[in-house]
Amino acid sequence: MSTIAPMLLEDTKLEPKAGGFYRHQNFLTGLIVGILSGFIGWVVSLALLQGSNFGSDMVVTVTLTCWVIGFNAGMGTFNAIFRWILGHDQNHEDELYAAGVGQGWKRYWKYCTDHKVVGTQYLVLVMVLFGVGGTLAMMIRTQLLSPNSRFMSPETYNAIVSIHGMIMIIATIIMVSGPFANFIMPIMIGAKDMAFPRLNAMSFWVVVSAVPPILGSFFLGGVPAGWTTYAPLSVQAPPAMDAFAITICTFVISVTVAGINTLVTVLTMRAKGMTMGRLPIFVWGSIIAGGLGLYAMPAFLMAQSALITDRVVGTGFYVAEQGGTGWLYENTFWIMGHPEVYVILIPPVGALIEIASTFARKPVFGYKVMVAGISGIATLSIMVWAHHMFTTGWAPTLADPFMLTTELISIPTGIIFLCMVGTIWRGSIWTRLPMYFLYLFIFNFIIGGITGIYLSDVPADQYFHGNMFVTAHFHYTLLGGGLVGAMGAVCYWFPKVTSRMLNERIGKTAFWVVAIGIQITYMAQFYEGFQGMARRVANYNALFVDANRVSSAGAYILMAGMLIFMYAIIHSWRHGKKASANPWHAKSLEWMTLTPVPLENFLVDPVVTGHPYGYGEPDSKPVAPEMPVPVSANSGGSH
Amino acid sequence: MSITDQQMHDSHDDHGHHGHYEEGGNHHDTAQEKHRKEHMATWLFIFGDVVFFLLELFFWFYLRANNTAGMWRAANCTPANGKLGPTDEGLNTCTDGLFNPITHAIPKANPVYTIIVFALIAIAAAFVWFAEVQSRKGATKKTTHPLTALALFFVLAAIAAQFYQFQVLPFTTIQGTYASTFEFYMGSNVAHFLLALVIVTGLWSRSRLGKFDNGKWYQLHLSRLFLVWVAASCVILGLVTIFFA
Ligand SMILES: [Cu+2]
Repeated sequence: MSTIAPMLLEDTKLEPKAGGFYRHQNFLTGLIVGILSGFIGWVVSLALLQGSNFGSDMVVTVTLTCWVIGFNAGMGTFNAIFRWILGHDQNHEDELYAAGVGQGWKRYWKYCTDHKVVGTQYLVLVMVLFGVGGTLAMMIRTQLLSPNSRFMSPETYNAIVSIHGMIMIIATIIMVSGPFANFIMPIMIGAKDMAFPRLNAMSFWVVVSAVPPILGSFFLGGVPAGWTTYAPLSVQAPPAMDAFAITICTFVISVTVAGINTLVTVLTMRAKGMTMGRLPIFVWGSIIAGGLGLYAMPAFLMAQSALITDRVVGTGFYVAEQGGTGWLYENTFWIMGHPEVYVILIPPVGALIEIASTFARKPVFGYKVMVAGISGIATLSIMVWAHHMFTTGWAPTLADPFMLTTELISIPTGIIFLCMVGTIWRGSIWTRLPMYFLYLFIFNFIIGGITGIYLSDVPADQYFHGNMFVTAHFHYTLLGGGLVGAMGAVCYWFPKVTSRMLNERIGKTAFWVVAIGIQITYMAQFYEGFQGMARRVANYNALFVDANRVSSAGAYILMAGMLIFMYAIIHSWRHGKKASANPWHAKSLEWMTLTPVPLENFLVDPVVTGHPYGYGEPDSKPVAPEMPVPVSANSGGSH
Repeated sequence: MSITDQQMHDSHDDHGHHGHYEEGGNHHDTAQEKHRKEHMATWLFIFGDVVFFLLELFFWFYLRANNTAGMWRAANCTPANGKLGPTDEGLNTCTDGLFNPITHAIPKANPVYTIIVFALIAIAAAFVWFAEVQSRKGATKKTTHPLTALALFFVLAAIAAQFYQFQVLPFTTIQGTYASTFEFYMGSNVAHFLLALVIVTGLWSRSRLGKFDNGKWYQLHLSRLFLVWVAASCVILGLVTIFFA
C-alpha cells in the first residue's frame, strides 16, 4: 500500500472567479431565460405573423424555438462558443469549476461537465420520462376497459397515444446510453472523462429543453397522428404537431452530439493497454449504437423539419395536392425508425452481457462473434426500413427484398442470443438481482423476436399490420427486452453510481410484479391481434372486451411493479447500505476504482493488463493496479 | 501494488498546472491528443451532415420522379389541357397549397443567383484554407488575420446573396414540390452558412489575438474541413437545381 495518498481533486480550492459566467447559471436561470425568451418570441411572432396563412403554426414554432434557445442560453450551453470567439479560453480552474468542484449537490442543477454528474442527471430524467409515459399508458388502458368508454374523448385518446409513444421512444433511446454510457463507460475504458465534457453537458440539457414542447402539445390541440406522425394527417394536425416536431429536432441535436462524444471517447481515450479487443461488450454496444444514431438521427431531422416547413411555410413535400406524397415521409421516417430500435436495444443488451459474465463467473462466450453480431445487426438495420410499409402500397416489388433483409436480421440476433446463453451456460451462477432481469430479458425477447418474424412476412403482415399484434410485439421487444435490460443495468451499476446497494428485497418484489404484468398485458394484446382488433382505437367491438380487460389489469400490475422498482431506487439511494468499491467482485475497470468515484475516476492512471472477463482463469491478472486510498476518503467525500 | 514517488509527483504536477488551454477537450490532453479528438469529431459531424444531405437529394429526385398530380413544376397545368379547376371528383389537380388554381408551369429559378451563392461560400472556404496553409508555414496574425477577415466577408456575402435569392425567386414555397425543395435547399444553405459564420467569426477574432501563430494551425484546419464540406454540398445542391429542374 502507498504511504502517502494523493488528495482528491474535489478538495481543490478554486479561485473566487473560476468558471466565469457559469457561476451565475443553473437550472433556474435556464428556466427564467427560456420562458422570457419564449414569451418575447410569442409576442413578436403574434404581432408580425398571426394574420398570415400559417399564423398559429408560425407563432407556436417561433415561440418554442425561442424557448429552446433561451433555456440553453440560460443554462450555459453557449458560453464556451462565445468564449472561444472572444479568445477567452477556459483555464484549468474554469474547467474544474465546470466539472462541479466545490458545488456539492448544486452541481446536479448546473451545466456540469463531469460525466458522472451528467450520467446521474440522465438517470433522473429517464425516470421522470418513464413516469410521464407510464401515466399516459395507464390512461390508455383505462380508456380501453370497456368497448364504448367515455373516460376520455377520442381526440384526447389519440393525443395521449401519440405522446405516450414518443415520450417512451425518447426515454428508451436515452435510458442506457444516457446514464451508463456517460457514468460508467468512460471508467470502463480507463478515461478521466468523456472526450468533450462540455458537449456532454450540452447533450443532457438540450434533451431537457426538448421535453416541455412535447408535453405542451396537449394544450395546443393534441397530436392526433400517433407516434409515427404520418403525413398528410400530421400536416393537417393542430399546432400541437409543431411542438412535437420542435421536440424531435431538438432531441436530434442531443443524440447526435452524444453519439459523436461516445465514439470519440472510446476511439481516442482508452487507458494504456485497453486495446479494442479488450473493450467490454457494453462499450462496443455503446459505440455501435452511437454510430447508428449518427446515421438515423439526420433522417429524423429531415422527416420532421420538412414536416415543419409543410405546416409553417406551406411547402408541399407530403401533400399530394401540391405534388408531394405521404410515402416520402414514411420512407424518411423509417429510414430513421428501424435503426433507431437498435439504437435503443443494443446498449441494454451490452449491459446484460456484462451482467451475464459477472454473475456466471465466466468469460463472455464468443467475444468476437458477439461484436460481429452486434455490428451485423447495425449494418442490416439500415436496409430493412420498408418492412413498416408493406401495407402502404409503396413499391410492392420491393416487398420481397425487404422481407428478406428483415429475416436476415434474425441471424445476427440469434448469434447474440446464443452468446448470451452460452455465457451463463454451466456457469457457477450467483443469482443476484441483475441476473433476474437477464432471465426475464431472454424470456421476453424470444417472444418479441419470434413474433417479429411473423411481421416481417409480407402476407402475414397484411393481417397483423394494423392490429394489436404489432403493439404486443413492439412492447415485448422494447419494454420486455430493452427496458427490462435497462432495469438490469440499473441494478448492476447502482452501487457504483449511488455508492449504495440497491435493496434486493424490494427489487425482487418489483421484479416479479413487472415480470407477471408484462406477460398478462401483452399476451392479451397478442390475443386481441389474432382476433383482429385494430390498434390505436379509442372504442372497439364488444367482441374484444375480455382480452382488453385482461390487458388493462396486466398493465396496472405492470405499473405497480414499476412504481415499486422506482421506490426501490429512491429508497436505496437515500437509505441503502453503503457499497464497497466492487460488490460483485467483477473484473472490468469501473469496479477497480473507488466508490464514490473520484473526480477524474482514477487516482493513478490505470494500465490494463488483461481481458475484463478473466473469470475462472487461475492466472488471470487484475486488469489494473490497486488504487491508493485518498486522504479524505474516510470523511465521506463530497458525494 | 504501490505507487511510486514518480507517479505521485506526476499526478500532483498535473493537477497543480495553471496554464491556459485551447478550447474543448479534457484538460490533461496534449495538443496532439486534442487535435486527434477534434479531428475525429469534425469528421463524424460531417458524416451526420452527409446523411442529411443525401436525404435532401433523395427528396429532390423522388418528388421529381413521382411528379404527383403533375405538381413538380406544374408543367401540365395550362388551361389548354383542361386540368385547370376542380375536376368532376371535386379534386383540383393543379392548385397551390391554399386552393388557388395554378394556370401555368412554375418557372425555373434563375441559375445566376444560385451560382453566385455557391461561388461566395466556396471563396470563403478557400480563404480559410489559405489561412491554414499560411499558418502551417509559420505565418503570424499579420497574415492570418486579413485572410480570415476576407473569409468572414465572403460568408456574410453568401448569406446576403442567399437571402436576396429568396426575394427574387419566381415562385413561392406553396407552388409545387420543385419550389418546395428548392427553397428547402436554400434554407439548409442558410443553416450551414450561419454555422460557418459562427466559426469564421471565431477564426477572425482569434487570429487577431495571435491564437494561430507559432504553428497552432489546427483550429484553422478543422474549420477548413467543415467549410469545404459546406461549400461542396452547396455546390452540389446548386448544380442539381440547375440541371435537374
Ligand atoms: Cu423495423
